[in-house]
Amino acid sequence: MSASLGTLLTVPFERPYLTRALIELLLLGGVAGIVGVFVLLRRLAFLADALTHTVFPGVVIGFLVSGQHGIFPGALVIGCLTATLFTGLAATRRVAEDATLAILLTGFFAVGVVLVSRRSSYTSDLTAFLFGRVLTVSDGDIVTTAVVTGAVVVLLAALRKELLLVAFDPQAAQAAGYRVIALDLALNLSIALVVVAAVRAVGTVLVIALIVVPAAAARLLSDRLLVVTVLAAVFGMASGWIGLLVSYQVSVDHGIRLATGATVVLVLVAGYLLALAATAARARSRRTAPDALAGSATRPALAGEATGPAAPSAPEAPARAAPRGPVR
Amino acid sequence: MRYRGDVRSSPAPDNPGRRARGGRLTAAVLGLAVTLALTACGSSGGGSEARAGGKLRVVATTTQAGDFSRVIGGGLVTVTQLIKPNVDPHDYEPSPADLNALASADVLVVNGAGLESWLDDAVSASGFEGTRVVMADGVSLREGTGAEAGKPDPHIWHDPRNARIMVSDIEKGFAAADPADAPVFGRNLAGYLTALDALDRRDAAEIATIPARQRLLVTNHDAFGYYTARYGLTYVGSIIPSFDTSAELSGKAIQNIVTKIRATGVKAVFSESSLPPKTADAIGQEAGVAVIAGENSLYADSLGPAGSAGATYLNAEEHNTDVIVKALR
Amino acid sequence: MSPSSATGADALVLADATVAYGRVAALERVSGRVPAGRTVALIGPNGAGKSTLIKAILGLVPVVSGAITVLGQAPAKARREVGYVPQADTLDADFPVSVAQVVLMGRYRRIGWVRRPGAEDRAVAAAALDTVGLAHRAKERFGTLSGGQRQRVLLARAIAASPRLLLLDEPFNGVDAVSQDALLAALAKLTAGGTAVVISTHDLALAHLACDDVCLLNRHQFAFGPPAATLTPELLRATYGGAAVELGAHGVLVARP
Repeated sequence: MSASLGTLLTVPFERPYLTRALIELLLLGGVAGIVGVFVLLRRLAFLADALTHTVFPGVVIGFLVSGQHGIFPGALVIGCLTATLFTGLAATRRVAEDATLAILLTGFFAVGVVLVSRRSSYTSDLTAFLFGRVLTVSDGDIVTTAVVTGAVVVLLAALRKELLLVAFDPQAAQAAGYRVIALDLALNLSIALVVVAAVRAVGTVLVIALIVVPAAAARLLSDRLLVVTVLAAVFGMASGWIGLLVSYQVSVDHGIRLATGATVVLVLVAGYLLALAATAARARSRRTAPDALAGSATRPALAGEATGPAAPSAPEAPARAAPRGPVR
Repeated sequence: MRYRGDVRSSPAPDNPGRRARGGRLTAAVLGLAVTLALTACGSSGGGSEARAGGKLRVVATTTQAGDFSRVIGGGLVTVTQLIKPNVDPHDYEPSPADLNALASADVLVVNGAGLESWLDDAVSASGFEGTRVVMADGVSLREGTGAEAGKPDPHIWHDPRNARIMVSDIEKGFAAADPADAPVFGRNLAGYLTALDALDRRDAAEIATIPARQRLLVTNHDAFGYYTARYGLTYVGSIIPSFDTSAELSGKAIQNIVTKIRATGVKAVFSESSLPPKTADAIGQEAGVAVIAGENSLYADSLGPAGSAGATYLNAEEHNTDVIVKALR
Repeated sequence: MSPSSATGADALVLADATVAYGRVAALERVSGRVPAGRTVALIGPNGAGKSTLIKAILGLVPVVSGAITVLGQAPAKARREVGYVPQADTLDADFPVSVAQVVLMGRYRRIGWVRRPGAEDRAVAAAALDTVGLAHRAKERFGTLSGGQRQRVLLARAIAASPRLLLLDEPFNGVDAVSQDALLAALAKLTAGGTAVVISTHDLALAHLACDDVCLLNRHQFAFGPPAATLTPELLRATYGGAAVELGAHGVLVARP
C-alpha cells in the first residue's frame, strides 16, 4: 500500500502519536524558520551552532538530576547562560569571535559527553539528546514547546524593527541610542530557547538545520523581508510534515527504519536545493529574455546577481552640471 | 550651506498596506495546531477491532520474549518482536511500525527489571491498551555489579528456573486475554516446562565436569550473573565492566582485568555474540589466554538469528553451556 | 548664502574637548561653534580622529576633558535630535530591505518600542526620500542602487527623524556626480530649515564650495574657521603632516590624504 498525496495529508491524524509528533514539528518548524531569518540577517549561524553544542551538557545534567523531566530545565538554564556569555564575548571583541566560540562549544560538548558516558545505556540516551525522539512526545512536551515558541514569536515580533535595524546597520542603531548589546542578547536568547524547545523532538545536532536552512532557502526565493519570513516559517513546517510522513510511511510499508529527525533535515536540504535550482533557472531565463529598463520598480534583484548601479534613470538628471571647480 | 540647486524627482505612487502580518499567519497556524492537539487528545489509541484472523496479537520486546511467546502461543498468536537478534536492548528506539503494532496489540510481553528503559514512552505514545506481561514478575532479582550496583540485573533468563517463571507469566497473560484458548496455552506451557527442566539438569551435569578451580567465567559484560549463581561458576570480571556495550575501557581497567585473569589462572575468555570480539582479543592476548569469539561466542543479551545455533532459547542456552564447558575443561 | 536659523542658539559647541578610547587620547583640545543652519567640514587625513569626533558628538565615546555640548545638552541626552549618516559601503548589499524600509528606520526612535510605523511615519519617510530625489526608487531593494544613491537614501533616513544637528561621515567618498549634487541639494534644504550640519570629508573643493566653516584635524586641531582662512597651503601641510599639497588650475588646493 503506497501513499498517495491525499494519504500523506490525512495519515497523521489517524494515529495519535503521529498527530502529536506532527504538532511538535509544526511548532518547531515555524518558529525555527522565523528565528532563522534573524540569524541569517545578523550572520549568527555559527553562534547558533555553538549554542546547540553548549546546550547539550545542560540536557545531560538535567537528565542525570531528574530524569526525563529534568531535560528541559537543564537545557534552559545552560542555554540562557551561554547565550548571555556569547553576547558578552561578542561585545568585547577581544579574541577573534570564531575561535572563542569554537573553544567554548567543543569544551561544553565534551563535558556533556563525559557526563553522559558515566551512565549505562548511555548510547541510547546520547542518541535521543543528539537526534531527538519525536515519535514519543507527550502532551506535556507539546505544551512546553508551544509556550516556549510562543514566547519567542512574541519577543521577536515586538522587537522586529529594532532587530532589523541592528542587523542592517549596527552603527546607525548605536548612534540612534539603541543598546546593541541588549538587542543582540534578546536575539541570542531567542535562539537558545528554540534550541532548548527542539531538543526533545529533533535533538541538538539537527536543530541547527531547522534554524538555518528554511531561512536560507526563503532568501533565495525573495528579496522582501516579510515574504522571506513567511516562506521560512512555511518551509520549516512543511519539511517537518513531509519528513515525518516519509519516515513513517517507509517504516510501515517497507520495514526500513529512517530516523525522523534526520529525515526532516534531508527534506530541508532537498527543499533548499530545489530553491537553488529554481533561482538558477529564473536567472537563466531572465538573461536570455531582453531585459526591461533597469530600475523598473517591480523587478527584485536576485541573490547572486551582480548588484551594482542601476542604469542612470532619466528623471534624475540634475538641473545643472556637477561643478568641480570653485563657485564664487 | 552655500550650494543651491534643484534636484527633480518624479513622484512615485505610494503603495502602503501590503501587510498581511506575518504575525497573524503564525497565530493562525498555532491556532490550527492547538485545535489538532485537542482532537488528538480526544481520540484514543489501541485497537478494539476484531482480532486478525482470530489470532491473539502479541508484541514482544526482546528475542527471548518473542521466543517464549511463540512457544506458549503456538499457532494461536501472531508475534511482533521489536528487538531483532543481535541488537542491544538498551539501545532501542521504536519505529513507527513498532508503534503501530503496539497500538493494535492485545498483549505486550516485556522482560522488565529495567531492561527496556525506552518502553514506557513508547507504550504511552502508542496508546496501547491491552494486557501487559512482565516476565520478571515473580523472579527474585540479584543486584547488578560494578557500575550497575544498586540496580537489578535484568538478564534473568539465563537461569532455567527463572525461565519457568517467565513462561508461566506469559501463559497467565495469554489466558487472561484469550480465555477461550487457555487450555491450549496450558498444554504448551506444560510441555515447555518439561524441556526447561531437562535443560537445567543437562547444564548442571555438563558444568560439573569442569575441574573446580577452572570454573571461572570472563565475558564481555556481566550478563551471566544468574547463570553463574545457578551452576556454581565464579565470575572473574567482565571485559567491559558496565552494561553499556559500547563503552571504551580505560587502560587501568584493562590492567585490572588482566591481573585478575592471570591471578586466577583462567583458561579462556569469552566474547558474546552481539559484540565485536576485538576487545576480548586484546585482553586475551595480553593475559595469555584463549579467546572464544566469533561463531562460537556466547548468546548473552540476545538470541541468534533464524538458522543460527542460538535461534531459540533452548538452543542458545545449550550452546552457551557447551562452549563454556569445552573451553574450561 | 543661506540664512541662519532664527533661534540663534548653537547646535554644537566644542570647548577644548579631548576625546579618548580608554587611556589613549584620540583627539585633543578641539574647539569650535556650529550655530543652527550652518555647516562645518571636518578635514584631516585617515586616522585623524574625524570619525571619533563624530562618535563623541553622538555620545558614544567619552570626553575626558573639556566639553561637548549638543543642542544645549550633554551629547547622550541630545541623541533624539541628532542625525547620523554613516558611509553606505559599510552596509550589506544583499540585505533584503527596500529603500523605503531603510528610510523608515529613521523614524523608529520616534515610533518607540513595539509599536508599528503609522501613516504619518510613512509620509514623513516618503517626503525625506523625495528630498534626496529618490522617491521613484522607494520599492526597490536597497542593494540595487548605486553607491551614491545608497548614500542619499541614508541621508533621507537621517532626515526622516527631523534632526536639528546632522553628522555625516565621509558622505562623498566614491559618490558619482549626480548623487553628489543630490546630497548637496538636500543638505542645502536642511540648513535652510535651521539644521546644523557637520561633514567629515577629504574633498577640499567640496568643503570650499559647500561649508561655512572648516575644522582641520589630525589628532588635535589645526584650525577652525571659514574656508578662505583655513584652507591655506601652510595649514593644510601642517594638518596632513607633509603629504603632497598642490595648487590646482583655479587656485583650489587638492591634498592627497
